Amino acid sequence: MQATLSDTHREWVEAALEAHKFSIARLISLFEDQRPEAVPQRAAVLAFLDTHPRARRATFLGITGTPGAGKSTLTGQLARRMHAARSDLRFAVLAVDPSSRFSGGALLGDRTRVRFATGDARLFFRSQASDTELGGLSPRSFQVCRLLYRLFDCVLVETVGIGQSEVDIRFLADRVYLVVQPMGGDEIQFLKAGIMEVPDEIVLNKCDAVDAARRSYQALKSSMALARPFDGDAIAIHRVSATEGMGLDRLAGRLLEATDTYRVDSLRVKEEHYFAKWVKEEFGRRGMLYLRQRHVGAREFLQVCGSFDAAEAAFAAEYVTRAS
Amino acid sequence: MSAKAHQLVTKGGQVIEREEPWIFRTYAGHSSPRASNELYRKNLEAGQTGLSIAFDLPTQCGYSSDHSLARPEVGKVGVPINSLDDFHVLFEAIPLDQMNTSMTINGTSMWLLALYVALARERGTDEKLLRGTTQNDIVKEYLARGTYIFPPDASLRIIAEMYEWCLERVPNWNASNICSYHLQEAGATPAQELSFALINAIGTLDTLKQRGHFTPEQFEQSVGRISFFVNSGIRFVEEMCKMRAFSEMWEEITTERYQVKDKRMTRFRYGVQVNSLGLTENQPENNAWRILIETLGVTLSRNARCRALQLPAWNEALSLPRPWDQQWSLRLQQILAYETDLLEYPDLFDGSPVIASKVAALKEQAYAEIQKILEMGGVKAAIDSGYMKSELVRSMSERMGRINTGDLTVVGVNKWKEGIPSPLLGGEDGGVFKIDLSEADETRATLAETKRKRDGARVAASLEALKAAAKSGASMMEPSIECALARVTTGEWADALREVFGEYRPATGIEGQRLTLEGDRVEALRRRVTDLVEVLGHRPRMVVGKPGLDGHSNGAEVIAVSARHVGFDVIYSGIRLTPEQIVESAVEENADVIGASVLSGSHLELADQLMDGLRQSGAADDVVVVFGGIIPRDDFATLKAKGIARVFTPADYELIDIMEQIVTLLEARHQRSAAE
Repeated sequence: MQATLSDTHREWVEAALEAHKFSIARLISLFEDQRPEAVPQRAAVLAFLDTHPRARRATFLGITGTPGAGKSTLTGQLARRMHAARSDLRFAVLAVDPSSRFSGGALLGDRTRVRFATGDARLFFRSQASDTELGGLSPRSFQVCRLLYRLFDCVLVETVGIGQSEVDIRFLADRVYLVVQPMGGDEIQFLKAGIMEVPDEIVLNKCDAVDAARRSYQALKSSMALARPFDGDAIAIHRVSATEGMGLDRLAGRLLEATDTYRVDSLRVKEEHYFAKWVKEEFGRRGMLYLRQRHVGAREFLQVCGSFDAAEAAFAAEYVTRAS
Repeated sequence: MSAKAHQLVTKGGQVIEREEPWIFRTYAGHSSPRASNELYRKNLEAGQTGLSIAFDLPTQCGYSSDHSLARPEVGKVGVPINSLDDFHVLFEAIPLDQMNTSMTINGTSMWLLALYVALARERGTDEKLLRGTTQNDIVKEYLARGTYIFPPDASLRIIAEMYEWCLERVPNWNASNICSYHLQEAGATPAQELSFALINAIGTLDTLKQRGHFTPEQFEQSVGRISFFVNSGIRFVEEMCKMRAFSEMWEEITTERYQVKDKRMTRFRYGVQVNSLGLTENQPENNAWRILIETLGVTLSRNARCRALQLPAWNEALSLPRPWDQQWSLRLQQILAYETDLLEYPDLFDGSPVIASKVAALKEQAYAEIQKILEMGGVKAAIDSGYMKSELVRSMSERMGRINTGDLTVVGVNKWKEGIPSPLLGGEDGGVFKIDLSEADETRATLAETKRKRDGARVAASLEALKAAAKSGASMMEPSIECALARVTTGEWADALREVFGEYRPATGIEGQRLTLEGDRVEALRRRVTDLVEVLGHRPRMVVGKPGLDGHSNGAEVIAVSARHVGFDVIYSGIRLTPEQIVESAVEENADVIGASVLSGSHLELADQLMDGLRQSGAADDVVVVFGGIIPRDDFATLKAKGIARVFTPADYELIDIMEQIVTLLEARHQRSAAE
């Protein structure tokens, strides 16, 4: 199944490593491509990148929260600050938005709120449709991250946090930041939904509303103690205001520290989660059952096949021709 | 002997023959201060009784004519004003103490008022005698018109400071004018127009009260200074009822919420520009009748008659009006006021049960909406949360849906489409107005000259004083006047305050919107889009952008919502984008289509800037670029040569048609590249 790298793709990769934006953009499209012929092409690109001396290794920082919590503005402000502080790093933002159940179309990434100086090659912004109405991460998000992992130093993944997507972001990001707004009732909702178990750190945004913010801060602190009684250290709660600039420099500093600290060497753990998700999306419950009965699970199957792409191709071929 | 019911009576009980008419205005200004001054003097000679100044977009958005964002827009939709030197030319031979001057200016309103006062000071005119209005309604800028600069808190503070300064220094000046005009243009229903305008006025008065600058007597006077600027649409009976509802509600609100005792201070004072939204590009001569009918809505009922009226021109859906077109509209006002007997009677509708019932129904709906917004925390909260914007985009989408289904009749557009070609479009200029672009160079030369001659130290000191006031919370009005006298430029004044307050990016309002468009054509198109997913490897992506400074975003918004409705992934980043930003979006998102909306007349320049940017990024062959907006047919071929694949104008009102054509372009592009 190993395809050779086409000249076009080789050119794109070389240019992408030089931060040429349109080359990066077209490579991302290749990693979003759901047609079977894209699978070996992706594998070839990744194989080439894995031996490339100029390839990078990105840390993934997840930024999640309810609609209206101000994630986009916050992400924009943080990216701008991190970028200004570290001229040696390349940053990408991947903003995932929900799709319409009726038309399949989506309104994507409010780039307005993440506005950078144009023409800056070190910062790249890409929007992605979730393909689900609730905005969870799709297997395509994972595919794109496999690419970005090798092209950037830090990737901020912004997702709408309702339901399933928290778990998805847990499996994609090295560090997860939950953005909440004062007295949005978010504290209680999160507690109910079990979402408080997901984040590594919490960002209380809109702290320009002083009283509400103080009350929310206290509520959050006590609900975290309730939700996670076994945490050794109390979870960090950052108080910021993305519109007024309050607390942002400090938080950006924390994110840069995390970028240096939490970088993991492989996407293997993440691969298991997203491979299972891919099987379920492509072949449904029966596919999942088949995977479990024949191959024990995603981890085992990935091990046998050697890589994510090989596993995808092998499973598709095997499942379609499965002994009837 | 007592007067008969049909006779007009003064307050003193005297029977009079007829009333004084409203103020006749024409919204005007273009090219340069010199050209606009000539136009104003001609209009005043023709019988116009007040000035209504149109500023160009850079002036409205706080950029001098030499700024890169300003370049394609200088002098296009209004007059460019860079410094006090320009104001001296603009008002040459026009006596300020005898003029009533209305300025459509919002984000930079304090600056333009400062220039006007500084002009009076340099001319030796007593500033107490200045009369006029700065539009200065920032709420509708956030919602519909788009020439805001600063965040809501800073903007509301500027408005409040102007009320405070004006009441004490230029008592006959309307510091602001609550506008519902643009809300109707953006799709507001009559009840929305009523409620959004009134909640806006409540927001202003609450702010004034909270600041505590005014004594109770002054506060009562400031209530009396609140004036409104409304829209009048084609449903003229309902519009008249809306105006009666406005008057009644304003009296009730000022009396009940603010305990105003002086009855004169509770009067609803308003000016009007009749509706441009309903003006059509198809059979544009029909617009003359529409304008006439819409005028009736705001003049027929004496108790709800406007104080000032400006009419659009019949060809506004095609281009900016020519002087003759404006004169034709002015003549309509003169005929109505002086030839007819309209002004000889008391109110014609008092006592009509039909009218009373309709007014009551509108009031009920509007009060319910006002209550809802108050419970959300008032007008600022409803802007911040995007609530008001979403409601407007929803109304607009519904309206477009109804035109598309034929539920709403628009003569010459979706009914009786065939007609004899209009001879009005046959002249040498094709019935449209073209700006002399060389005047922009002259404007920039004047600006350079001003900068060369001025006292640099005084400029720097006055800007520092302005920033210090902005930071400390002191009034910025006098420091702004000193800036004006020092020959600070428009861009410098705005930049100084941007430094202190930051710039605002509002909610786009398109999230969560659904279109009512249904049926076989939509289903068929969705299938074609799904087929494209198979051949492209991804769902087609469309970047919808509004390059330039023009902020009328509803066209772009409706296209963004429609594109998603038929299955596109849509990237819409709101207004006031540089062409570079749109190019960058398209490049990074690997977009298949760029749809750019241009209403300011700068389409040729913007096409060059966009296509150059795409070429430099290596993306020119991969993106289909289409334009939409008010674009004369004469320019279609030029745009095509520049690489714009298709141009849509208001004549393409069927959203599904537009979407089908875009999908066809994408299919053709793919077939071509597959054949290669």
